[in-house]
Amino acid sequence: MNVVVCVKQIPDPADPGALDPTTKTLKRDGKLILDESDSYGVEMALQLVTAAGGGEVTLVSMAPNGEVSGLRTALAMGAAKAILVSDDALAGSDALGTAKVLAKAIERVEGADLILTATESSDGYTGTVPEQVAGLLDLPSVTFAKHIEVDGSTVKVQRQTEAGYDDVECPLPAVVSVTAGVVEPRYPSFKGIMAAKSKPVDTLTVADLGLDASQVGWAGAGQEIVSIEEAPAREAGEVIEDDGTAFEKIVAYLDNLKVL
Amino acid sequence: MRFAFTDDQILFRDTVADLLSKECPAEAVRWAWADETGRRRELWSALAEMGVVGLTVPEAHGGLGLGEVDLVPLLTEVGRVAFPGALVETTAVVAPLLAENAPASVAERWLPAIAAGEAVATVQLAGQPFVADAHVADLLVAQHDDRIYAVPGDKLRLTPQPSVDGARRLFSVEFDAADAELVVNGEAGWLAANHAFDRGAGATAAVLVGLAEQMIAMTVDYVVARRQFGVPIGSFQAVKHHLADAELKVSFARPTVWHAAYSLAHGRTVADRDVSLAKCFASDAAEVVARKALQCHGAIGYTTEHDLHFWLKRTWALAASWGDAAWHRRRVAHLLLDA
Repeated sequence: MNVVVCVKQIPDPADPGALDPTTKTLKRDGKLILDESDSYGVEMALQLVTAAGGGEVTLVSMAPNGEVSGLRTALAMGAAKAILVSDDALAGSDALGTAKVLAKAIERVEGADLILTATESSDGYTGTVPEQVAGLLDLPSVTFAKHIEVDGSTVKVQRQTEAGYDDVECPLPAVVSVTAGVVEPRYPSFKGIMAAKSKPVDTLTVADLGLDASQVGWAGAGQEIVSIEEAPAREAGEVIEDDGTAFEKIVAYLDNLKVL
Repeated sequence: MRFAFTDDQILFRDTVADLLSKECPAEAVRWAWADETGRRRELWSALAEMGVVGLTVPEAHGGLGLGEVDLVPLLTEVGRVAFPGALVETTAVVAPLLAENAPASVAERWLPAIAAGEAVATVQLAGQPFVADAHVADLLVAQHDDRIYAVPGDKLRLTPQPSVDGARRLFSVEFDAADAELVVNGEAGWLAANHAFDRGAGATAAVLVGLAEQMIAMTVDYVVARRQFGVPIGSFQAVKHHLADAELKVSFARPTVWHAAYSLAHGRTVADRDVSLAKCFASDAAEVVARKALQCHGAIGYTTEHDLHFWLKRTWALAASWGDAAWHRRRVAHLLLDA
């Protein structure tokens, strides 16, 4: 069983992020790390390959400046190889532009049975890329998976909903987006880290994928960032004086959040 | 000589720091004080699986076959979280001692088990009255004059002894000669014991640097948050100076610790001097930092309710272990003047 995992390399969330005032996008010129929300997909893929008794995990990523630090982390966890698309023409790509690049890169992986993604990335997101990738590849897609099982040529998914989960099945190959917490990502071992250095990372440009530069980046983006402003300050919480019935308000509040 | 850590060493350090920050928060240290054994085998296994515990075990026995310079950044991370466990004893002292000296039967029995995280080891060298972690150790390596023995943990008779650090328990240990396997003796036994002592002292110095760095971090957080007279107390010069003194001490200790690891790893003849320099600098620095941290916390941390307490106590315990600052300072003087 061969699984492709789409991973994003993002600025370290531990460092305060900054927006570029000219492009109005997040600065991504420093060292990038593996997006934590993608580590769940990598772990899920590794477990599925182990359960199937064979196959390998291939990573697909798009990042500026040929950045591979985040990919090395996922390779150290146990992925076999990676495809990195890095090209100046990709700067400013919108969700669809990103999906086009990822879909083309995924097509280069021979015999992919399953494509896993996170539901969305942590640094800048629309949450639409997984479905766009599935659309471009003309594959069935399941979102918000909290449990995945492969049975022959069918993937069985517990799909997270507000009230619980739905049991969903679809034929392979398919695109499945996994929620955070679907599995506990393993820590890379030192041996894994050392082995990751010699694992192949195929670095490609837009032209290598057969895409036209006008379809991606700022040129191909169907969106424009008109202005950016500071997030509003957090509002003060609501204070309820307890007259003996405050618990009812708390229950109603929690019920409204659907956490009860 | 390139005096900087390699990319791999830095990556190993960051990987361990990530694991420890998630799996060994301050609550885990607090728990270790209260729990019957104070040791969680899963945490040890996670470190072993990563390759930390078997770092110094030869590759032929399932380890990574790496040395002191690779280990030192990891031990600083171990100190930073006040990790409760015998990593100094197992990985810095016992594993290399067995790898270099033990007959094949002893090495084959213990080294693969250490690398796999199945055997925790501890050590008692001559002049060391009590043994840390003997209650959870699967293996004790003990020195009697020129002879070094390996004794299975279940053959030890233990008497608990008071320890300043409730997460680092101490025991006096007895065992029967019939249960002890000889590792090495004679001239080689003395050398092995001396080498083991230097490794333990050097490794403990690295742990102390981590403890000190964390106490400074905790204190900086506190003095920024704690306000008096309408401003954070960290804006007062008197507080700033305490913290600057603390940082200065650690900054001077850190390179001596790295240098000692380098000397040990390369078998330099001055390794004993370099280790003593590191241990006295690190012990002094950590004790000064502990005092400054407690004072800047307005003495919160004097009792167990505040996490700082656990870092203070570990600092006091380790500063006094493997030779205190005064002992090592005398040894530096002796090695320099009598040479």
